[in-house]
Amino acid sequence: MSTSIAERSLHRRVIGRLPTILWLTAMWVILWGDPSPGTVIAGFGVACGCYAVAKLPHIPVPLRIRPLWLLRLIGYFGLDLLVSSAQVALLVLWRPTRTRGAIVAVPTRTGSDFLLAMMSGGLSLVTGSLVIELNREHGVVYLHGIPVDSAEDAAKLRTQVQRTEELFVRAFGTAADVAEFEAAQRALERRTAEAADGAPKEAP
Amino acid sequence: MGDLTAGMTAADWCTAVLLPLGALFSLVGTIGVVRFPTLLGRMHAATKPDTVGLVLLLVGAAFQLPDIGSAAPLALVALFQLVTVPVLAQTLGRVAYSRGEVDPDHLVVDELADAIAAADDRELPPGRTP
Repeated sequence: MSTSIAERSLHRRVIGRLPTILWLTAMWVILWGDPSPGTVIAGFGVACGCYAVAKLPHIPVPLRIRPLWLLRLIGYFGLDLLVSSAQVALLVLWRPTRTRGAIVAVPTRTGSDFLLAMMSGGLSLVTGSLVIELNREHGVVYLHGIPVDSAEDAAKLRTQVQRTEELFVRAFGTAADVAEFEAAQRALERRTAEAADGAPKEAP
Repeated sequence: MGDLTAGMTAADWCTAVLLPLGALFSLVGTIGVVRFPTLLGRMHAATKPDTVGLVLLLVGAAFQLPDIGSAAPLALVALFQLVTVPVLAQTLGRVAYSRGEVDPDHLVVDELADAIAAADDRELPPGRTP
């Protein structure tokens, strides 16, 4: 009994660490630029050695990749990166001292740590935004965007951020993540509709 | 002009367009670091145009390489740039904000400050005065 548990946990440890080891080996082979068996074996040895010395933890990565959404994400992301850097470049050359920005709060609709981390990394590269603070507990991400001159600009920035979030969730999220996202999205829409219907009152 | 471009292949043309373009983006990004008045603005200039500039330079350089195997390390460079730059930007942005290095004159709205104020009003830790 005890040996079988030990075997199973060993098995799980090896499987859990395999993707990282394969990735480290692939990097080694790419850097040597020579996919010969000797290089692969040496790379595998170095990767295992790194793992043993650094005592890297085994983190289960609950991600599922959907190729079509991933292509859409890459396309949107690349275009957005180009546009936002051209925009920033224009601002640099055209009166940068008058450029104004805003720090806006955007409610997030996913609870997955991995998706949030990927999303905030992506957001810092695109849509003229820079993530400043991420409130995990309340599910709010605060980001700085330029150029923002009016409330409409801030609303536009918020829409862009939510679009990026949706693409990340749909490209990498597991079925549970997507379901959670859709439920949160419906709740958010309901709240927005209620706020629009009711008397104009201050947000809590 | 004719003599200069006579021996150029399509790959050479791609390089000839991409390298100056990438250099231009990097240059503008660096100028932005100097010219933007606020730290957060500078972070924008230091992340976006620089990343695009580097990727364009790498793609331009890749067209001059003999095969895909020798271009693969360039893809690694681009990947690590894309992965590490946001981390740096976020860390600096956050530190700058929490140290108050943010100029309200250049902000239209600051919903983070509003949220912090609201949280302070709502719950004061027991035994502490504001």
